[in-house]
Amino acid sequence: MAESHDDNPALFEDDDHRAVYIFTPAGHSGLPQQEKARPVKRRKVTSKRASSSVAAAEVVQEGEAETERTQTTTTTTTTTTAAAAFPRLFGGKESAEAAELRRQVFDTAWPVLDGRIKNVLREANRTTLEDVSSFIRDAEGDATRGTRIPAGFIITGPNIASQDLLFEQLSEALGKATQARFVRLRAAGAPNLKAALKKVIRDATAQVSIGGGGSDGDEDAEVAFGRDGRKYLDYDLEGLHAFLSAQQDPSKRVIVAFEDSEAFESSLLTDLLALFHSWQGRIQFSVLFGIATSVELFQARLLKSTARQLFGAKFDVVQADLVLDNVFKSAIAGTQATLRLGPTLLRNMLDRQRDQVAGIRVFISSIKYAYMCHFYANPLSVLLADEKSLTRQLLQPDHLQAVRTLDSFKAHVEAAVDARQLNHAQSLVEDDSYLVKQMAEQRLKKQDYLMQLLRSLHLLTSMDLVPGRFTDLYVSALAGGLDLTPIIDAIKRLGADDVPALINRLLTAIQTGSPDLDLPGWEDEAEDLISSLSEIRDEIEALAEQAREKGQQSLKSKFTAQSKVLRTTVVAQKVQLSQDTAKLTEEDKAFGKAIDSLVDLLTHHIYSDPIDSLFLHEAWAYDAEAPYRDVFVPRPGTTFERALTRPHGYLGCECCSKTTGTLSATLPTTCILYQLYLETGSLVNVADLWSAYYALVGEDSDVGLGEREALVRFYRGLAELRMMGFVKQSKKKADHVAKVKWLL
Amino acid sequence: MGDSLFQLPDELLFTTLSHTFPCRDAQIRAVATLLHPHAAPCQNLVIHGTEATGKSAITAALLQALQEDTEKDEPLLRYVIINSIECITARHLYESTIAKVAEALQWRGAATRCDSVSQMVVELSKMLKYPSYPDKFRFVLVFDGIDRPREAPITLLPALARLSEIIPRITSVFIVTSPPASFLRTSFVPCIEFPNYTKNEFVTILNTTSLPTAPLPTTTIQETTELWNRFTAAVHDALARAASRTLPSLQHACTSLWPRFTAPILAGTHAPREFSKLMVAARVHFQDESLLDPGIVAIRSCSTTTQPQANNSAAALPSAPPSQANTPRKAGQFTTTTTPSKPKATANPFVSATTTDLSTLLPPTARLLLLASYLASHNPTRHDLVLFSTFHHGRRKRRGGLSVGTSGRGGHRGAQSKHRKIARKLLGAHAFVLERMLAIFTAVRGEWDPRWLDRDVDNTREMDADIEMAIATLASLRLLIRVGGAAAGGVAGDQMDRGGKWRCNVGWEVVRGLGRSMGVEVEEWLVE
Repeated sequence: MAESHDDNPALFEDDDHRAVYIFTPAGHSGLPQQEKARPVKRRKVTSKRASSSVAAAEVVQEGEAETERTQTTTTTTTTTTAAAAFPRLFGGKESAEAAELRRQVFDTAWPVLDGRIKNVLREANRTTLEDVSSFIRDAEGDATRGTRIPAGFIITGPNIASQDLLFEQLSEALGKATQARFVRLRAAGAPNLKAALKKVIRDATAQVSIGGGGSDGDEDAEVAFGRDGRKYLDYDLEGLHAFLSAQQDPSKRVIVAFEDSEAFESSLLTDLLALFHSWQGRIQFSVLFGIATSVELFQARLLKSTARQLFGAKFDVVQADLVLDNVFKSAIAGTQATLRLGPTLLRNMLDRQRDQVAGIRVFISSIKYAYMCHFYANPLSVLLADEKSLTRQLLQPDHLQAVRTLDSFKAHVEAAVDARQLNHAQSLVEDDSYLVKQMAEQRLKKQDYLMQLLRSLHLLTSMDLVPGRFTDLYVSALAGGLDLTPIIDAIKRLGADDVPALINRLLTAIQTGSPDLDLPGWEDEAEDLISSLSEIRDEIEALAEQAREKGQQSLKSKFTAQSKVLRTTVVAQKVQLSQDTAKLTEEDKAFGKAIDSLVDLLTHHIYSDPIDSLFLHEAWAYDAEAPYRDVFVPRPGTTFERALTRPHGYLGCECCSKTTGTLSATLPTTCILYQLYLETGSLVNVADLWSAYYALVGEDSDVGLGEREALVRFYRGLAELRMMGFVKQSKKKADHVAKVKWLL
Repeated sequence: MGDSLFQLPDELLFTTLSHTFPCRDAQIRAVATLLHPHAAPCQNLVIHGTEATGKSAITAALLQALQEDTEKDEPLLRYVIINSIECITARHLYESTIAKVAEALQWRGAATRCDSVSQMVVELSKMLKYPSYPDKFRFVLVFDGIDRPREAPITLLPALARLSEIIPRITSVFIVTSPPASFLRTSFVPCIEFPNYTKNEFVTILNTTSLPTAPLPTTTIQETTELWNRFTAAVHDALARAASRTLPSLQHACTSLWPRFTAPILAGTHAPREFSKLMVAARVHFQDESLLDPGIVAIRSCSTTTQPQANNSAAALPSAPPSQANTPRKAGQFTTTTTPSKPKATANPFVSATTTDLSTLLPPTARLLLLASYLASHNPTRHDLVLFSTFHHGRRKRRGGLSVGTSGRGGHRGAQSKHRKIARKLLGAHAFVLERMLAIFTAVRGEWDPRWLDRDVDNTREMDADIEMAIATLASLRLLIRVGGAAAGGVAGDQMDRGGKWRCNVGWEVVRGLGRSMGVEVEEWLVE
């Protein structure tokens, strides 16, 4: 049933997005009502859903879904969006058009980002690709190589999953650049020498029939079996050789890429390399290794005689940090992003990237998941639709009602009251059409806010004075706003030569904008800023010129010059200390003033408020951390523990609801055994466990089970515990089981 | 012509062969005698010798020469060479033998499938035994590297040795490294040893084969040749006697040392005649370990090669003969070796920082897990309570190993020394149960990772998917190894089975570096 669960996306329940829900067995009276209450689907899947057998199957799956959540969530989320329409929210009162609109907005918003992200990732690998290609090409003619096999060691970092794209690109690029056949090997697909060779031969011979065009499948088989009718074993490289000769391929190059080199047995690698080496004159083998740790560690695992057969070069892939920054800029911070992710969620995602073995892929899916959650579950996300499709009719009273319950609405109204704009506040609360107008205005305000935020950030980063990365800056700007304070000191300490350079950097930043952020230049809108900046720059340059003419070494401002100098004078064998104020020249003073005005100017232009200070930010910002953690960092241990200690949360039965964490005879057997298990030591005497269990549920208790039935249940419960990995058979003592799990 | 019973091949053949393979004259003559159809063809022949002594090359060249030599009007000698390294299974060996024999005889219709030795014998008999051949026709089967076959039955070698008993025309040649006594299970097999070269031979070979083709700029060709001769002898004395005993490695050492050795001549500080001065100047290069163990990285990554080349363009002039083709590589080596005290730091700090140590590659959680598993592997279980428990002492008191405390008291020294064992970190890693390692991980995490200090205590017992992913990653990188596999794992041998046994596969040096990258001295946590 689990398979059908995966295969047929239409089978997904509305409840799937909930963390915990009541398990209602098929015969239960709750079901038909639920079925009725469910909104009528307009899509063709409806007929399928209605059939009762499917519905019965679903219910069983729900129970499994909880435990399977770990494995299937990723597939779940992707397939759901592909097939099913979004449910109507507001308890089903949302209009179908609104739900459809949410769906449309998501469908248009995500692909834009997806394309940009893919672009960034492809770009990131470009230099590596070029280096590797040129190495493989040049190794051919390299006189010092001798008969050694050209080997490229690509240091990819520990993220094996994210190497996929790199090797895909390598296969494309190298196939083009060197006319070679490219074979990708993974440790899982090549457990022994034979299997590895089979894969090499199969892939190397198959590629031509796809790319070469001329030969069909039949012809292919013929060639592989030799011209003179000789059959080759499918792991015989001679077959490959015969095939390549038959193809009239003059170079006879084959590139074998070991994607996760560390996972290969070193004896297998040794064998393969020895084999490639001995074929070197006839087939030009080159090898590529994706290395997660370091070349030194890898070399330590190879035999020296094998190492001598390799002619290696090392390639670094762009650091994951850099890729992350770029993805962040284009997908989260960039102007293209429809939805803003909130600071809490972002901080979480970034921390996870840094601390855990989570590749860039996980980061991208997290972004996608946030988008999905927002548009799937937040009715106000319709407000993100463009003005044409978001008509007045579409906004139901429920939408307005929902807006009025928002925290930001409350804050906004309270602020209006404090500011004595009572009419405004009153209209907001009472007048629907006024509210709608305000909401439309908020759209512009949001645009302004984002522009201001991004421009400020861009100016800040282009000054090169801010420590820390762009990601951190962005997140803190969202969380707590942004201003110039942290770098005022740095600006003030700049010398006379640095300030004009800084201003020039700012001016170019304004002119060109930032392609990473997809932020166009804003020369037209910032005329006064540009002119003031240029004025200050000219003034400082003029001052520096004057100072030079007067013979002064360099300009000092009141901030840089040490204003007070301690002097020691020895008078009559006594040391006298006296303070002396260093004199600032006229130019210096003017320079100080210019810097002051620069700081003032920048403070005026670089600012941003926290994201949650904006009215209606809930409609376009998503900051829920819990769904993200539930899906991407599941905690199966905790889930098990919760289910075993408080089963009524899932069963919804009356009898156990009062027993939270205590023993009760009405609990399911496994739960009782789990409670007993928690109290035991490392070795559990099964007889003791049985007697404790029987004392609880035996004939004297309120349940009153017979011994035979109790024993059957006991065995079954114990077996379930073993299945879940709590106990294990022990050889240390007869009739004892070992307690395996102490942590969650 | 074929009238005389014993007739050695033409002398001219030997001269050309000795020219290409210097210093192997005796062996060439011996092999030729035993293979030539007119001389003393034998049934089986074992050729043995260590690596790179010319066994395979000489056999192949000699057989080719003999075949051409005897080819008067009818074929007298045919041969095939089967490289058993290229044969994956025994079946593969049989089938490629038959295919190659058929090709050599231009036989059509040989069987394509051959599962056993007996089947091979049948096929070979069809091709070699029954058809008529000239009187003294010999067929030579050469099994190269047959002492290391893969998946071969133990009867393979004796069976191959008996081929010639069934088919008398066959001579089987076995090329092996060192034959065990009577490994063919047959009496009287002539063995010809290819011994390693002596010093004189090494020098002669190097002087004839790898002489620098172009003279050094300021000297004549004769001076260069003389210098090369003395240089190779010196390199042999310095390196070959102790460590690099094979011809290719010596050759490699010579060619990579030559540009450094002649650098003073190019710079004009020494004349080519001043050999001893040159030696003194180049002494530091002779201590370079990369001569003996070049490593797998021949070219430093492309972006970095340009930098050292620019720095050292004066030293590694492009006209240095053997390195003409790739100066960058030589230059790269040059920088790394001139400063032996700090090997890589000077070559390119960026590369060494990003690639050499695990600490920059692994994220903190994975590093912590690796450290925890090292501790679990190297500390006995009975000390866990002392080391990791915070229950009795409030905050755990850090201790530098138990033995320090006990050996301080003089009285028990006798008893102590009796049980004196090798330090545990020098021993191999022991297996541990996954649950124990996770427990150590949670205990240690609170201590080492400052961000865990202020979290809720209940939270620390929790294993989320991130930790399991880190374990899986470490396992796929072979930094952690599952011991016993599925059989020992109990239920299903699942990787996440808490009862599974694991072992830490990282050495002490790496772990110490890892620990220091997190501000932890791992030594303090090891009970000695």
